[in-house]
Amino acid sequence: MTDHTTSGGAVSTVSNSVPRVAVPPRTGLWTTYATLLRWTFGQTGPMLPFVIAVEALLAAGIIIGFGFLVPGIDPASARFLSTGAPTVLLMVVGLVIVPMGVAQARASGTFTYLRAQPVPRPLLLLADLTVWLAVALPSIAVAMVVAWLRYDFGYVFDWPLLVAAAALTSLTAASVGYAIAVVLPPLLTQITTQVLVFFVMLFSPVTFPASRLPEWFQTVHDWLPFRPAADLLRAGLISDSYTASGRDLVVLLVWCVLGIAISVRALVRRT
Amino acid sequence: MVDGVLEVENLCRRFGAVTANDHVTLRVRPGEVVGLLGHNGAGKTTLVSQVAGLLRPDGGTIRVAGTDAVADPGTARRCVALQAQAQAPLDGLTPRTAIEIAARLRGMSRAKAAAAARAVAEELDIIEWFDRRAMPDGGGISGGIRRLTAFAMAAVAPVPLVILDEPANDVDAARRRLLWKTVRRLGDEGAGVLLVTHNVVEAERVVDELVVLDKGKVVASGSPSGLRGASDHDLRLELSLTPDGADPSGSGVPFRVARRVRAGRRVLLTVRADNAEKAVAWASALRAGERIEGYALAPVTLEDVYLAVTGGNAKEAGE
Repeated sequence: MTDHTTSGGAVSTVSNSVPRVAVPPRTGLWTTYATLLRWTFGQTGPMLPFVIAVEALLAAGIIIGFGFLVPGIDPASARFLSTGAPTVLLMVVGLVIVPMGVAQARASGTFTYLRAQPVPRPLLLLADLTVWLAVALPSIAVAMVVAWLRYDFGYVFDWPLLVAAAALTSLTAASVGYAIAVVLPPLLTQITTQVLVFFVMLFSPVTFPASRLPEWFQTVHDWLPFRPAADLLRAGLISDSYTASGRDLVVLLVWCVLGIAISVRALVRRT
Repeated sequence: MVDGVLEVENLCRRFGAVTANDHVTLRVRPGEVVGLLGHNGAGKTTLVSQVAGLLRPDGGTIRVAGTDAVADPGTARRCVALQAQAQAPLDGLTPRTAIEIAARLRGMSRAKAAAAARAVAEELDIIEWFDRRAMPDGGGISGGIRRLTAFAMAAVAPVPLVILDEPANDVDAARRRLLWKTVRRLGDEGAGVLLVTHNVVEAERVVDELVVLDKGKVVASGSPSGLRGASDHDLRLELSLTPDGADPSGSGVPFRVARRVRAGRRVLLTVRADNAEKAVAWASALRAGERIEGYALAPVTLEDVYLAVTGGNAKEAGE
């Protein structure tokens, strides 16, 4: 609308006598990503030992504590419970700690500050998710060690499946958590995430078999990410007893893409 | 004809019923420091947020270094270094790391970023804290050093346009001077600088041009001396009123008053230099009669002009 036919776009074409100020060249994507990662890690790094300590406590709480609920727990149930614990931990980090961090960043102005940086904004999310992945993944090892100490059973790893399921679960939880925190106001974010923890721990067939739930609730869980994530991870941990289903993978992927899409939109959009 | 690093034309932005920017037009040329003055809520930060691609304008155009910032905010952001009014996210970082990160994001090599970070830290005299980590509880480095670090992050790499939103908040007097010197240097090196502030006195010392916003509108613009008035010979007679006393300058002033502004218990009268004697005699009599608490006669400052154009309880008389 405001284009004058003689003066071109961003490229200095016409302005003959007036020295045109040049647009600085784009910084390489990799350099930008690596630098943002350094920034995010610098901020989250000091928190890392605490997060891992919390993960260990939670793992102990689930594996040992839930064990008390079942008197004389049989090895099969113990295995089921223990192999569900990593999923709970990944979900807690992604759905509680991530939104807490994002809500805080929004309240303190950090979120806006970063959005004003000369970087493609989706990279901000990518750097954040990378850091959260690094924070969340040790929880799997922590849960496995606790389970092994408590029940002393062996794992039968399907490594490629385990790595893929762990990464996807953690990414999904973190991106959905991020999306919650950018869509809802901070106080509502806090309440929602607290409710989600209870839902994951007590009302999701993660640490107990889905068959114990009413049928309609099983159907609900066919569409939520929790049971699919738990089943995928379990198939990676004790691959002799459980197998992964393609449908679970698809459900998890859909949630992941949805979380990322909402988060990116919030980062990119100008209100 | 685009020769400014920032060209804002007829910019409009509303928030519900509030018009935050009402047909704002301003220009920052390369090498120029432009002060954007205004009270709290005048629309300064809204304007900056639109330039930085955080808000979308309702109308008008923004060009940054020739780029349409509304259509292509990504490219515009590469041309802008913004020091926001909120504190920069420094927790867990040292000033060195933070400034280096800002330089790296602007494409400087590792070595260049390190050298540039040190240079600007020395320039601002914050080397003492250069390697001290900022703690999330606010410890490690003080608010003033955080602010200076954020300023350094905006100033470390050459960019066409630097936007500083209240950069001197919390900064001590000695380092403020260093900060203003650096702002001046950025301009001298060819960058356009938009300095957002409500501190008129400090702005006057560094800016080439001033734009005054009030309730979203540009109410005055020009060079500091231009705004002060055509003749630099004007004087300001400041009357300090008694707590409950009436304003004696309403009528019956025995000399010509070019402008009359009331700011709280102060009344600022702009008078011509050749009326100085009459003005002093008049004010002395008022004080002797205890109708005012005191008075002062001084050259007109930008603050007088600022108070006059931004209204408030001010009112213009004269002519």
